[in-house]
Amino acid sequence: MSETTAVSERPPEDRPPVRFPRWAIIALAAIVALTAGAYVARTTVSPASARDAATLLGISLPDVDGREQKLDQWRGKVLVVNFWATWCAPCREEMRDFIRAQKSDGSRGLQFVGIAVDQADKVKQYAREIDLNYPALIGGMGAMQLSQSLGNDLMALPFTVVVSRDGKIVHTQLGPLKQAALDELLAKLL
Amino acid sequence: MVLACLLTAGPAPAADSGLPSGRPKLLPPEQAFHFSARALDAQTIEARFDVVDGYYLYRDKLRFAVESGGSSLGPAELPAGKRKKDEFFGDVETYRGALVIRLPVVNGVPGQGVLLKADSQGCADAGVCYPPTMQQVRLSLPVAGSGPGPLVDAQVPKKGLFN
Repeated sequence: MSETTAVSERPPEDRPPVRFPRWAIIALAAIVALTAGAYVARTTVSPASARDAATLLGISLPDVDGREQKLDQWRGKVLVVNFWATWCAPCREEMRDFIRAQKSDGSRGLQFVGIAVDQADKVKQYAREIDLNYPALIGGMGAMQLSQSLGNDLMALPFTVVVSRDGKIVHTQLGPLKQAALDELLAKLL
Repeated sequence: MVLACLLTAGPAPAADSGLPSGRPKLLPPEQAFHFSARALDAQTIEARFDVVDGYYLYRDKLRFAVESGGSSLGPAELPAGKRKKDEFFGDVETYRGALVIRLPVVNGVPGQGVLLKADSQGCADAGVCYPPTMQQVRLSLPVAGSGPGPLVDAQVPKKGLFN
């Protein structure tokens, strides 16, 4: 109990009062608050989320037929940009959900775009195999760097970026974007 | 200060889609698939991957090569992996835990320095896969009678693959 009385308002006469200067308490509180704020921001959204999607929308990549496609053409839609590869099993798995969502919500302004960290011939063959109903762009290994700039610091796949109608990055996801989570996001954005 | 704090945390609610798993805790591939090797003698290198729990390597994606004057590698003696029927890739073999591979050195010269390069590709059970990763170690082929060389760890690059 002596420790508590030492910092209480009225310390015993025989002990010098132990108090932190007011500025130190304020400074400490500020540090704690800032650290906590930064921590929350880091764990719930990636740093890229605060940015707008101008850089991403400004890029242009070839599709499976070699035609350049600028991401800007889907501005105004809820854009889900999915980095994937044919050699990535979890990517293939979640694409089934994406195909379904594109089919059911495409008319409401939802647009998926896949950016493959892969070779064009493999992507073309696989897209045909699964009846891919949204564009598959060929990013090659350079696409990994693009995804890194968007918050994929581990450069692993799948990695997904969700862009709102007004061109803001509202979510980034490393690993599969689960159906329930996707539904929840789309409920807010569509 | 309060304002700064609010601004920092501000975007979180808007972007929070109830996905705490937006950033699963994951290791970079060089740590998840730690590579090391030692030269047993002038004709044999023993390569080793220590795969962290929760990660696995694909057997058919392993490639080895040496850079040196004149020597090369024979076919790697890959142990059998764990067979699994993958929904997408058919029958695949994967490795977990410690993986030891013997690599015959063709025209190895005792005392010669070689740079061993290993390409591997694997995934995490958390549901992500890494692109093919190259790791390398510099070894010295032992001279006759000196016994195996020391185990050498691959250096983890300070920066990512592309910068």
